[in-house]
Amino acid sequence: MTQTAIGTSSNRKGLGNKAIARIFTVPGQVVSLLVLVMPLLVALYMSFTDWSPTRGSLFDASFVAFDNYSELLIWDTRFIYAVIRTLLISGICLCLEFTFGLGLAVLFMRRFRGKSVLFSAFLTPMMILPVVVGYIFWMLFQSNGPINQMLEFAFGAQATLDWFRSAGPAIVAVIATEVWHWTPLFFLILLSGLNSVPENPVRAAVILGANPRQVFWRVVMPTLKPVIIVAFVIRAMEVIKLFDEVYMLTRGGPGSSTETISLYIYKLAFNDFQLAYGAAAAFLVLVGSLLLVHMLLAPVRNQLLEGDK
Amino acid sequence: MQDKKLTPVQTVIMAVSLVVVLFPVFWILMTAIKPPTDWNASPAIWIPSEPTFVNFQTLFDPEALGKYGVGGVSQPATKAVFGSLLATVVSTTLSVIIGLFSAIGISRYGNNSKSTPLIILSGRMFPPAAIAVPFVIIFSNIGLIDSYTGLIAIYVAVTLPFSTWMLKSFVDDLPREIEEAAMIDGRGKLAAHLTVTIPLIRGGLFATTMFIFILNWSEFMFALVLSYSNISTIPVQLAKYVTATAGTLYGVQAALAVLAMIPLVIVGYLIQGHLARGMTFGAIKQ
Repeated sequence: MTQTAIGTSSNRKGLGNKAIARIFTVPGQVVSLLVLVMPLLVALYMSFTDWSPTRGSLFDASFVAFDNYSELLIWDTRFIYAVIRTLLISGICLCLEFTFGLGLAVLFMRRFRGKSVLFSAFLTPMMILPVVVGYIFWMLFQSNGPINQMLEFAFGAQATLDWFRSAGPAIVAVIATEVWHWTPLFFLILLSGLNSVPENPVRAAVILGANPRQVFWRVVMPTLKPVIIVAFVIRAMEVIKLFDEVYMLTRGGPGSSTETISLYIYKLAFNDFQLAYGAAAAFLVLVGSLLLVHMLLAPVRNQLLEGDK
Repeated sequence: MQDKKLTPVQTVIMAVSLVVVLFPVFWILMTAIKPPTDWNASPAIWIPSEPTFVNFQTLFDPEALGKYGVGGVSQPATKAVFGSLLATVVSTTLSVIIGLFSAIGISRYGNNSKSTPLIILSGRMFPPAAIAVPFVIIFSNIGLIDSYTGLIAIYVAVTLPFSTWMLKSFVDDLPREIEEAAMIDGRGKLAAHLTVTIPLIRGGLFATTMFIFILNWSEFMFALVLSYSNISTIPVQLAKYVTATAGTLYGVQAALAVLAMIPLVIVGYLIQGHLARGMTFGAIKQ
């Protein structure tokens, strides 16, 4: 019934709903198709060949089926380490960012002077370009830089480090940079989550004799859960792709000890020109991260796609 | 638990966090105004002995450092600044216009398939390294490599999920009845959206535009991979300064970094309430 009514009125006024929907969404679909899907199909094909730029056209390359993939998954320890390292760095960063962000957000639920100025100040890091953040921390961690100076002041000269000369300190520098850069996003998301926690259940819990800690963990945190999941998924999607900051800080060095997956693929394709092999690596990562995001996102998919309605 | 005052311990935690957050920013600003003698001093100099703008001058006039006896600065940053401005402004405009139409389409008319939103969204999940490889091949075949057209095409595709989803959250917030009223008055759907929907979400449109500007201005990997000699952007130029002259031109590099970050910090403060909305594809509302 309604369908017909809408149909008739839209005939009178021009286009129907489906036609309008198509007109509105086609440009976006075309761009995604041409600039994302098509290159990915090319890359997928390429990953089954032994092509490299020195061998002429892509269609001259011979088909090697899954050779690139088996090489990567079984023999390429540099790739496997890069995957493990990226997951490890991502995990540590997310936990630290969440903890600091939540702590800060809880502090901001209190009353104090200059709150709005401080709020802006705490958001500053996420407004700076990743490349610049990487560059700033590269300066800070120089052996004659301010961080070593502070360490020397606090713990004496033996506490200073050549941050980019050995694996452990270099990874610490990468994590510190990433945590500094993105804790504000967790802070921002969690604070808006905390602000939207309904007051009645909190009051009810207080009346029933819950102490502040119980209120926080039993009442506030469960209501915050969807927000926390969204924050984690969004950040996980980004940190898995970690590249800019590491490129500026260490270029993956020393050796390959701070190489993330993105950096390894970049080096494969654009330093060593092993494009087919790099494409295979990229596909493994793509499938892996899609699966990961799919799993993480399951509890909140509807909220993310449908909005609040 | 709300509305209590900070305890002394909490005040101290807050103060320490503030120092940690602001120190790196302080450092880059100070480095940018250090004269060459202070650049790489050991131990590092915190406050420049004679603050100067010569580093900024050098970005556009490589001879400016001559009065300090420092020469041999590579190319000026003029091209990179121009390139960043061009690529960012054009791609931001396109991304927001296309995203606006997708947002209205998805929000108001739904989709025949539920998968369309996911397809657009999954564009964000691709590691840039994964799409950079095929781009280089396709673009070198059709002559788009080392060109702003190619760079802009990628920027639009990469930021489209953000602009679509952020704008969709603003359109969702707008009651349908307002547009329906305009349609009952005899306006067609297209006209109703152009004259009612878009003006009513102009605040959100501004926030989205600024947010996409931040993303495009920050982009690094695609520009790095696709630019050779014809084109350049500020992030690429900054990375090149580091390799070519590591340890010698701190001040000039810092000046370029400051130049790159100032517009974003200003824009960021303007739309800080909307940053979470953009970063989370509109899933978190303010």
